[in-house]
Amino acid sequence: MTSHVESLRDPDVEERRQRAVESLQILGPGKDERYERITRLARLLFDVSRTSITVLDGERAWFPSSQGFDVDEVPRSESFCDQATDLGRLLVVEDTAADERFKHLQLVRDGAVRFYAGHPLRDAIGNVVGVFCLYDSKPRTLEGELLDAFRDMAAWAEQELVSSTEMSQAGRVQASLLPSKPIRVGEWDVNGLCLPALAVGGDFYDYGVLNGVVHLALGDVMGKGTGAALVGAGARAAIRGTNSAVTAGVDLGVTATQVARSLLADLERAESFVTLFQTAIDLDDGYTRYVDAGSGLCLVVTPEGETIRLDSDDRPFGILPEDHWSEHELTLEPGARMLVFSDGLLDLIDDPMEWWVPIGELMREAADADALLASVARLTRERTPLDDVTAVAVFRRHEGVP
Amino acid sequence: MIEFGVDTRDDGIGVVTPEGRLNMVSARRLKEILSELVANGTTRIVVDLGETSFLDSSGLGALVGGLKSARQAGGDLRIARVSPAVMTVFELTNLDRVLRARESVEAAFDD
Repeated sequence: MTSHVESLRDPDVEERRQRAVESLQILGPGKDERYERITRLARLLFDVSRTSITVLDGERAWFPSSQGFDVDEVPRSESFCDQATDLGRLLVVEDTAADERFKHLQLVRDGAVRFYAGHPLRDAIGNVVGVFCLYDSKPRTLEGELLDAFRDMAAWAEQELVSSTEMSQAGRVQASLLPSKPIRVGEWDVNGLCLPALAVGGDFYDYGVLNGVVHLALGDVMGKGTGAALVGAGARAAIRGTNSAVTAGVDLGVTATQVARSLLADLERAESFVTLFQTAIDLDDGYTRYVDAGSGLCLVVTPEGETIRLDSDDRPFGILPEDHWSEHELTLEPGARMLVFSDGLLDLIDDPMEWWVPIGELMREAADADALLASVARLTRERTPLDDVTAVAVFRRHEGVP
Repeated sequence: MIEFGVDTRDDGIGVVTPEGRLNMVSARRLKEILSELVANGTTRIVVDLGETSFLDSSGLGALVGGLKSARQAGGDLRIARVSPAVMTVFELTNLDRVLRARESVEAAFDD
């Protein structure tokens, strides 16, 4: 059944909204007590027959929590929240049978739902990720103090759905572990960014200069959220411990194998794994050594404009106990640029099968490291990321060019 | 949400078919299904990825975990009917040689 309100839906807004819903990873119906207590209390307070927190996911409307009915999901077109989501604002329908938008719905024709109130629940950047709903079997009103209370409870539901204070504090701590400023030495320019999909994430990066050599590492822990962040903090510390050896010239395959051995027991217990790209770049001559542990996500654009993928046959840390890793080498000539990133970026490009083409293009177009990171950040704003997006850019200017 | 088809064939091989997106939430469910199968003696498992449109690192983790427990129990876990898009996830992480993709579910244990 189509209705005239469907034309309100903007495909771009809907695509962003859908990705935002997927990035939330909401638990299945009735599983999360944080939502259950809101819908239970609302049913009592507003004296209605049904309440729900509804999420529109593709063509389905499903209920992370509901009271007064026993259905886990309905087709989106049969849901009341379809309209509230597309409108993006509070919707109170005092008599559904008298409303063109709702009178055709089965629940209205059956007389089960004659009153509906829906309040959109938004994520931090404004995508409507859910709707907080009241339904009753007879027409009624929702005004004055009760309407205010409904708005308050919607704000509460929104907070439970999207975030909590503790997690945003954890996010600030995690952000503080990243390098605080870029490296700008001679013709070299190094900078990074990390945009977690949730409050905290499993991606991390680190860089610095020791002994005239840049050391740079970018890791990605399986999964996302708090669990991945805890494993990531441990991996980051273990990798940091190798910086002085790596910049003094120790083979990166040897140090990576040591790090993998030291992390193995923890990773096996946590049933997790980590991909890593780590490199050491000599600032004098651009001689570059790297190790790749199942990341495969590093591109170099040469001064001639050719795109090179830096990858390997080596697996992530935490897969097989007897694995080992090996060092590879190349030279970053004046005019070369390098981008190391996490797989969250692949979600944001149109052709993930041949991702090195569009990403190589971004690298060629950028004037410097900051401009390249700005275009990565723009992609994440335009298309809500499903996963953490992390990238570190290294640019070597031509000598004498400011 | 994602659906899982679970089927134990006459020859004792378990076939698990995740339908849709295999992400952090659904990977948890896949891990449970795989450990239940192994715990109940089905140690040879084919995960049919023909209906899987998306696989992230959590999905990979569930498959690797299933592979480890199946091998510890004397069996094996194999993947079949992998779409080109999902294949890039295995290739990038160099896990395509640990979890080698098979053309069909039926022939997944023929070698």
